[in-house]
Amino acid sequence: MVSFTTATKPAVALGGLFALAWEALLLIPRRPFAAREFMVQSWFVARVSLLPTLMLAMPYTVLVVFTFNILLLEFGAADFCGTTAAFATVTQVGPIVTVLVVAGAGATAMCADLGARTIREELDALRVMGVNPVQALVVPRVLAATLVAVMLSSLVITVGLAGGFFFSVFVQHVTPGAYVAGMTVLTRLPDMLLALIKAALFGLAAGLIACYKGTSVGGGPAGVGNAVNETVVYTFVALFAINIIATAVGVKVTL
Amino acid sequence: MSAATGRLPRLTRRTRAWAAGWNRVGTQTQFYAKTITSVGDVFLYYRAELLRLIAQMGLGSGALAIVGGTVVIVAFLTITTGALAAVIGYNQFADIGVEALTGFASAYFNVRLAAPLTSGIALAATIGAGATAQLGAMRINEEIDALEVMGIRSISYLSSTRLVAGVIVVIPLYCVAVIAAFFSARVCTVVIYGQSSGVYDHYFNTFLYPMSLIWSFLLAVSMAIVIMLVHTYYGYTAAGGPAGVGEAVGRAVRSSLVAAGVLTVFISLAIYGQSGSFNLSG
Repeated sequence: MVSFTTATKPAVALGGLFALAWEALLLIPRRPFAAREFMVQSWFVARVSLLPTLMLAMPYTVLVVFTFNILLLEFGAADFCGTTAAFATVTQVGPIVTVLVVAGAGATAMCADLGARTIREELDALRVMGVNPVQALVVPRVLAATLVAVMLSSLVITVGLAGGFFFSVFVQHVTPGAYVAGMTVLTRLPDMLLALIKAALFGLAAGLIACYKGTSVGGGPAGVGNAVNETVVYTFVALFAINIIATAVGVKVTL
Repeated sequence: MSAATGRLPRLTRRTRAWAAGWNRVGTQTQFYAKTITSVGDVFLYYRAELLRLIAQMGLGSGALAIVGGTVVIVAFLTITTGALAAVIGYNQFADIGVEALTGFASAYFNVRLAAPLTSGIALAATIGAGATAQLGAMRINEEIDALEVMGIRSISYLSSTRLVAGVIVVIPLYCVAVIAAFFSARVCTVVIYGQSSGVYDHYFNTFLYPMSLIWSFLLAVSMAIVIMLVHTYYGYTAAGGPAGVGEAVGRAVRSSLVAAGVLTVFISLAIYGQSGSFNLSG
């Protein structure tokens, strides 16, 4: 019987996650909306994510620009490096870096916080007092993660383009005008909108997974550590899965 | 630690915060140095623990083991990025009528960008965050102090063993990652977009350089070293109860991602230089 329960555990976890997601989505328009908690959580996620986002956006863009420039120099088309930089940053690096940080910094902290509350039975206490923990705690956190992911992704794109500019112009000696002029050749408004939609989806998924793992912690302090670890793994897996689907759909829509 | 009540309280507080930050850099460096210099002890005294950790890191622990462990997660992540290289490469090349070069995109971007970066992320998330969670739980349960009391060198027993195990585990993991990326790019191009497999294989084989692959292996190993060092440090110094362990995991993931990103940039700049080592223009 033990083997049966271990075998069905992933299915149970997946079902639990979808149940929580459904409940949270239904509760978003319901009053009372936990506005104060939403503000606090948004500020918290933004505060812990801001610096790592900038630190991560720079190396990733520089790496992408560097690799693409080798190829473009080979073609003798280094003037187009603005095009590839903008395309790679807006469509891939921006949303991915954002969510790596929102998942790594924001979601882990949310999961740790909720997990600590769960093992101290604070969530049960809330239920006893007639407060729905999903409405009071989960909904504001999920919305905060989504909002901050969208706002941070625009920042990542800006920083990435600036980093690509400095690297191309000062290290690889591309004309600044050519870089700027090339930026809008492939990347248009639909790509930009798609990037923001992707960031919102990622933020939503990260927030939901963190809240689910946090509210279903069992087994004391070691359980909280494991739950946070699983949050990181599952968010990254969800992120990459969403990314490939969103990219394939986006390519069909924008081309 | 008296509160800053004397003259210039704000300046005193700032200086103290600055000094604390400076000291933290020092302790961190000391921890890393000690971990690296105690690697010899691992092979002398803690071989059994090393084997146990290698098994655990490869297959994962807890709920992760049920979905197939670290191997499956790494393979899954690189499958998606390989497919991404194919989706973007095929469509962009098709725009200018050279979709035959998708095989080249797979051989070039998967080796240089997608596989190392994705494996770095996957390593930090799986074995790295796992190590932080384990060590953090041990620290707040005072198990690490118990080890010290029993006369076991806690840094070499806990941290150096994990460093060595991480480096050993990353080699097969990176093989899986690269193969998964190549395979998914090929399947995506040939099966989904319907390109003939001969065209794909021709350009793929022409532009796949074994030397670049070996360099990217080296990159993966050095990333594993940095990731394991950062993650064991944050786990070893966790404080503040159950929530503290979770926060330590978050902080460790953040810093190791940044460290791995910066490391990849500098190693790539150093080993590939300005040349692509292929001659497209003849």
